[in-house]
Amino acid sequence: MSINKYELSSIQAFHGDVLGVSVDELTFTAGRLHILTGPNGSGKSTLLSILAFLMKPNQGQVIFDDAPVKWALKECALLRKRVTLLHQNPYLFSGTVAANVSFGPLTRGVSKDTARRVVEESLEMVGLTGFESRPARELSGGESRRVALARALACRPEVLLLDEPLAHVDKPTAAILELLVVSLSAKGMTIVMSSHDERLGARLGGRVIHLEEGKVDWMSEERDSGLAHEAVGGQHAIA
Amino acid sequence: MGFIAESLGKAFALILAGDRDVMSAVATSLSVAIWSVLFGSLSGVPIGIVVAFGRFPMKRAVRVVLNSMMAMPTVVIGLLVYGFLSRQGPLGSFGLLFTPRAMIIGQTVLAIPIIANYTLSAIQGADQRILPTTLTLGASTSQGMIQLAREVRFGIMAAIIAGFGRVISEVGVAMMLGGNIRLYTRTMTTAIALETSKGEFAFGLALGVILMAVSFAVNSVLTVAQESQRA
Repeated sequence: MSINKYELSSIQAFHGDVLGVSVDELTFTAGRLHILTGPNGSGKSTLLSILAFLMKPNQGQVIFDDAPVKWALKECALLRKRVTLLHQNPYLFSGTVAANVSFGPLTRGVSKDTARRVVEESLEMVGLTGFESRPARELSGGESRRVALARALACRPEVLLLDEPLAHVDKPTAAILELLVVSLSAKGMTIVMSSHDERLGARLGGRVIHLEEGKVDWMSEERDSGLAHEAVGGQHAIA
Repeated sequence: MGFIAESLGKAFALILAGDRDVMSAVATSLSVAIWSVLFGSLSGVPIGIVVAFGRFPMKRAVRVVLNSMMAMPTVVIGLLVYGFLSRQGPLGSFGLLFTPRAMIIGQTVLAIPIIANYTLSAIQGADQRILPTTLTLGASTSQGMIQLAREVRFGIMAAIIAGFGRVISEVGVAMMLGGNIRLYTRTMTTAIALETSKGEFAFGLALGVILMAVSFAVNSVLTVAQESQRA
């Protein structure tokens, strides 16, 4: 397996005439946590969309697992089965929590029994055991965010991209999400998350990449998480 | 007022007596409308989805045509389809003119723009996050569109109800392509036109009452189905 999950070179992406992101060289090490920070409009969401293969950059090259991405529709569809993005303001489908969480596994062709088991495991990971039959649209904001995360985790992605997962959530939910991110990272999942909070790196560990006006302003060294010890047994604590 | 009350009485008498002409007209109206809406939905819903998402030349022109066809008089559509189905027309050899099948073809043409336009509006009014969400969860584009259609199913149901309302109440296509043949292609609307022109106002009004009742009943069933899905 490659050391670098992503290698970006000379990337430029525009929204109309407005520069969204401009990156000369940037790599994302496999199995690590990467935190994108920066103010609104700094390019965090645009960069995540590129990493999620939802947006083709206007210029430059993206290498994923040592293979250059050609951005063909079929190729992107296959790559998106390995990478999952949790949007900043996630949309929950109408229907039950189970219907939402099982969406990814079912589109991958797994059996209904397997999907049911994956749903149970994913909900347990975000501390929502027993929520399967609850209507997704009747959940609180924090619960909705956790269901959306469970839905992303149910896809069993190699890379988890989180766009401002801690924005507008209450403290208990934020604590659960932080612990889960550290735990998943400790288990070897590549995670790229965005946040306004530059101190998040000190708490969660990993590497902070700070963006300003679409460009990388500075990067921190890789750090260990202050929550690592909690995260080892964190899954049980969360559940 | 007296003759209106008399007409209403006659309407109920005809319904209760199971009058052969009335029952035949009701059955023809319903079967032709149901098949037309079915075929119209199978064509109109995908057209609405493709126009909403597709990137193709003349897309704006297609929308203008769809919008124009919504307002096109039914006799004009009847006339155009008549041209295709008449003996000299390209489909004349099939011998479809003045049969229920011809009426179904004409009413399908009538239903498609309404169903397509309403579907298009439902999709354009849908939450913009739906498709990206499905894609990032690993769905293919077609799987994403199916999920999108599920999310806007109430809008699509409304499109189908509107299509049904259009075809069950029209008279131009049924008259031109069906020929108003008794016990064969005579629908409630063509029967109303005929009976009223003969001076049989009471009979025409009776059929009108039945038409409204049938239309109300079918729409009620569709609306209840829509509401039960929402619950």
